[in-house]
Amino acid sequence: MWGRTLQFLPKQNQREGLLPWVIGVMLFLCALSLTSALALGRGLERWSAGLTSNLSVQIVVDEPHERQQQTDAVLTMLRATPGVKEASVMATEDVIGLLRPWLGDMPTDTGLPLPTLIEVKLTKADAVNIKGLGERLRATAPGARLDDHQAWMTQILDLAGVVQLLLAGIVVMVVLCTVAIVIFGCRAGLASHRESIEIMHLMGAEDKTISKAFDERYLGHGLKGGLFGVLMAGLTLYVLIRLAAEMGQGLIQAGLPAASSLMWLALLPLMSGLITMVTARITVRRALLELM
Amino acid sequence: MITFENVGMRYGMGTEVLRDISFSLDRGSFHFLTGPSGAGKTTLLKLLYLAHRPSRGLVNFFGRDLATLEREALPRLRRRIGVVFQDFRLLDHLTAFENVALPLRIQGAKKAQVADHVEELLSWVGLEDRMHARPATLSGGEKQRVAIARAVINKPDLLVADEPTGNVDPTMARRLMHLFVELNKIGTTIVVATHDEELVEMIGAPILSLDKGELSQIEGGTPFDPGED
Ligand SMILES: Nc1ncnc2c1ncn2[C@@H]1O[C@H](COP(=O)(O)OP(=O)(O)OP(=O)(O)O)[C@@H](O)[C@H]1O
Ligand SMILES: [Mg+2]
Repeated sequence: MWGRTLQFLPKQNQREGLLPWVIGVMLFLCALSLTSALALGRGLERWSAGLTSNLSVQIVVDEPHERQQQTDAVLTMLRATPGVKEASVMATEDVIGLLRPWLGDMPTDTGLPLPTLIEVKLTKADAVNIKGLGERLRATAPGARLDDHQAWMTQILDLAGVVQLLLAGIVVMVVLCTVAIVIFGCRAGLASHRESIEIMHLMGAEDKTISKAFDERYLGHGLKGGLFGVLMAGLTLYVLIRLAAEMGQGLIQAGLPAASSLMWLALLPLMSGLITMVTARITVRRALLELM
Repeated sequence: MITFENVGMRYGMGTEVLRDISFSLDRGSFHFLTGPSGAGKTTLLKLLYLAHRPSRGLVNFFGRDLATLEREALPRLRRRIGVVFQDFRLLDHLTAFENVALPLRIQGAKKAQVADHVEELLSWVGLEDRMHARPATLSGGEKQRVAIARAVINKPDLLVADEPTGNVDPTMARRLMHLFVELNKIGTTIVVATHDEELVEMIGAPILSLDKGELSQIEGGTPFDPGED
């Protein structure tokens, strides 16, 4: 039982016995919130970028010549606008394609007045002030209409930003909370060894001899708890990812990480092991320094 | 070997529990420390076993001024001091054997090297059958004997004992005292705090008498002479 370190601590200790479980549960929550916040954040980013880097402008004018004129004016204006990467008129077939769900198949020369659609690609999602662009369009061409779903899209973008900030805040809080609980758990466990520490000290054991006995022990507690928590988190995420994959592309997937990105979770037990060990060492040394 | 000069001691911001204590312990001497409850006996012993620094005054240990000793030097000094605490202070989760082996283990001895020695001493104090019992299952007197065995196992230069016979019958008390006397004969300096006047008379060693934190010294009687080499 002595090994190389002079092990003077009891093998089992009720208060410490709880410690790995507390660490495990905290790390489970920490790993889950960390991964889903990161995935959700990335998902939101991709999704909103896709939504807004494409705009469309309709030119609703019946008279063909007038329509062509307005179209040209709008194209010139758009191409001169900073933040616009591309602006082009959509081919008639494509417009018919867009309408097919509503109108069904139809010949291309019905004579029905199809609107001219201008597709606009932006350099990035928020490269252009949508509201300002709408006003300028109306000034350039009275028959031009910016697709107005873009207006609420900017609001969603703002919301996505806020949500991302919130997620970051939650993650920071969960991580801090985990660290704090691990530290408090260590201290509670160590308090039960205070008398042993003092007796060893009075018998002439050196500080490092005493704290060494705690190093291995608390490293063990931290690793054990961390491993348990992270394994449970990994398992939970894996099951969720599989379920989401079966249900097909959907909103749920936005909140899940890719299965391959779970590898870094393996680092968490090492971190919790290190935190418990360092906390134990600091707490024991501090208790010893209080003695003569 | 150990000198106290005008030593005062207070706990925190309280009044002085020890005042102007001056005495010296020669190498191989044997002293009793007596005085009413609350006089400061345990406090004085704490200074002797390096659990506290005095609030004032000079203390010299083995030729070194305590005030100038750095903290790192203290463990080595402590290993030369054996302590029997008034409340035993055994490690509850270790067996009697493991408790007694601790001082040797702290000095770096391997478990196998110490076994014979520890068993021999435990037998001597009448605990050959209780060696692998834990303190919780020992009687008060048995715990006390384990505590004494732990204090003397590495033949310390100074032995400090706080009421070491408070929980045993007179016969065992005499036996334990005999252990101290034997240790004293091979050069260990001994200080025993006690209320037991019979014991004091039996040994006849000089007395350090504490009352309300002040010390007076009384020469010992001479029933038999354990002090000199
Ligand atoms: N840790 C402490 N903090 C504050 N005061 C203390 C502390 N330990 C002892 N005292 C006080 O110091 C005084 C001397 O106590 P001490 O334990 O030295 O007496 P004692 O002579 O050993 O008594 P007893 O014979 O009952 O063991 C007492 O008044 C006690 O209340
Ligand atoms: Mg006392």
